Amino acid sequence: MIFEIAWKNVWRNKTRSFVVISAVAVGVFAGVFLLAALNSSVVQRIDSAVNEELSHIQVNNKDFRSSSDIQNIIPDYKGVVSAIKATPGVKEITGRVIIRGIASTSARSMGVEINGIDVGKEKEMFSLSAKLIPGTGTYFETETKLNSVFIGEKLAKELNIIRYILTPDAFASLEAKKVPADVIIKLKPLSDQRFTSEKKFNRACETLLSSPESEKYSLMIREAAWSYRQGSKIIISFLDINGMQTGAAFRVCGIFRTNNDLFELKSLFVPISQLRTLTGMREGQFHRVIAKIDNNKHTNEISRKIKENLPGYEVLNWKEIQPDLAMMADLIQQIYALFMVLILSALAFGIVNTMLMAVLERTKELGMLMAIGMNRKRIFSMIMLESVFLSVVGGFAGMAVGEVVIAITGKTGINLVKYSEGMEAFGYSAHLFPTIEPQFFITTAILIILTGIISSIYPARKALKLNPVEAIRTE
Amino acid sequence: MKVIEIKDVHKIYNETEIEVHAVNGVTLDFEEAEFAVIVGPSGSGKTTLLNLLGGLDLPTSGEILIDGTDLSKLKSSALIDFRMKNIGFVFQSYNLIPVLTAKENVEFIMSLQKWSKKEKDDRTFELLKGVGLAERANSRPAKLSGGQQQRIAVARALASRPKFVLADEPTANLDSKSAATLLEIMEKLNHEEKITFIFSTHDARVVKMARRVITLEDGKVISDEKLE
Repeated sequence: MIFEIAWKNVWRNKTRSFVVISAVAVGVFAGVFLLAALNSSVVQRIDSAVNEELSHIQVNNKDFRSSSDIQNIIPDYKGVVSAIKATPGVKEITGRVIIRGIASTSARSMGVEINGIDVGKEKEMFSLSAKLIPGTGTYFETETKLNSVFIGEKLAKELNIIRYILTPDAFASLEAKKVPADVIIKLKPLSDQRFTSEKKFNRACETLLSSPESEKYSLMIREAAWSYRQGSKIIISFLDINGMQTGAAFRVCGIFRTNNDLFELKSLFVPISQLRTLTGMREGQFHRVIAKIDNNKHTNEISRKIKENLPGYEVLNWKEIQPDLAMMADLIQQIYALFMVLILSALAFGIVNTMLMAVLERTKELGMLMAIGMNRKRIFSMIMLESVFLSVVGGFAGMAVGEVVIAITGKTGINLVKYSEGMEAFGYSAHLFPTIEPQFFITTAILIILTGIISSIYPARKALKLNPVEAIRTE
Repeated sequence: MKVIEIKDVHKIYNETEIEVHAVNGVTLDFEEAEFAVIVGPSGSGKTTLLNLLGGLDLPTSGEILIDGTDLSKLKSSALIDFRMKNIGFVFQSYNLIPVLTAKENVEFIMSLQKWSKKEKDDRTFELLKGVGLAERANSRPAKLSGGQQQRIAVARALASRPKFVLADEPTANLDSKSAATLLEIMEKLNHEEKITFIFSTHDARVVKMARRVITLEDGKVISDEKLE
């Protein structure tokens, strides 16, 4: 009966209840959606880190990371691989030769980390090959007399092997993308001009277009003008196994684009056999063994076991290699809870206000209820339930709308390309695909109910302080 | 059989610097199935005495025994529980729960006492029929006239078969026809249910129907007349 009265009381003043329920719904929706977007960037970043850059676990010679000396190879590669394989939960393993060097073209030079990889195995284990920019190559699949290298877009730009040219094809592509004719006409003076950097090209476009046009179409124009001559050559120099300066010309067999500018700039990949030949390293010599595991949630546990089995080596999981990312991953639940607590605390004031008004308006009725036998517990329960209903109806509506919007944007994505420079510099994608774990909804539901209960305490105490004789006389 | 014993009860208010002796040494008894009214001018202490009888207020001195239980010795929660089980209230301005239907209002006390559904249904039907409003069982108070609302309030007061019903000026807001109907119903239920009714009133129609008239003045009983 108390439950029923409380529910009916909520709808006694429909407008007032609707306002507070709407406020709760909007607040919860905003919280859920923002957190889903934030979560997606962390999830995507972890996914990129694990599947493109680091893998789950790396095993190095103890001195390798501190000195990066080519001599710091893994002394017992087969033994290390066996020990890792024997650890439950490990899915796949491969080895890499990793050396520091300089990549250069006639225009520029850049310090890089050269990864000698088992191409077939790496394609199975990592998704980097899928990040190949269409039209830039084939990820080591084309036969070439020269050595092959797979590089990041950022490095390609730095080395000036990417050009920006508004060719007739580029103009046709802009027309197909429905860029207005007057914008295309304004760009005509740039026809067939070659720009060696994105900055210079953007600047040239900006002088011809208005600011809104520039803002709206610059990404499309840049993509249309993006030009790369397949098979460009770069020179990579490094020290061989004897410490002698060496190097070779490499043909770019593909350019990859990720969300991590630093990774794109600093990491390049060559077949391990070619790197061994050039450095004088022998078959079976590796600097790093990398392993992927079945479930990312077991990373700490599996890496601990491998550490126990390989005491003479440096065993690192991705959380140890990128502690900032690990911190985000570990703290994300607490951040969610804190964020929701802040939102719900603000909403609680609205509920308290509404409930206080309800108690004030119903003084006479509360007095009557006390007189005819509603005890303190029941009065408190009734006020508390009303408050909980307000928060639960609003909160669950907000969560439902949030879930729908997350499901839609999780498929379509949210394009934050305007801010891509800043985000990608930190390795975060500018395309967010909001996602949230079911656990989050359970936590949110508990917080919403708690908000209702806490919000009811003050109004309920006010109600309990009423003297039934005086309350009944109230007009 | 004595239902209520009031022994030398005083109620003094000290809200201002001046002491107000609202009830001044009242001693009264009420038997089962009485139909009594308390009359007196405004400020004579009628409502205060009714509040004391209902356990809504406690006497400054003296004893009020309901079926042998001294109300002033009960703890707050026990007093509320005692009220719920033993005393029915009818208020001047009806005071029904606006979000509940007539039937739900009548059932309310029974629900608090955790009666079974069948018991509640039977008793509610019986009472609504008794007050002549069985056909309005599903109407909310706002859809009922003042007289009808007060009849529902009477049904609610009787729902859990209390020892007695206290009615504070129940006809004050009613037109003469509605008041007459209400009084007839209350008298009928008083006979049928054997429940004591105690009214405070200024209404001559109520006094006319009463079988006992107690007159208060300045908080004292100045006459206690039993009529045949």
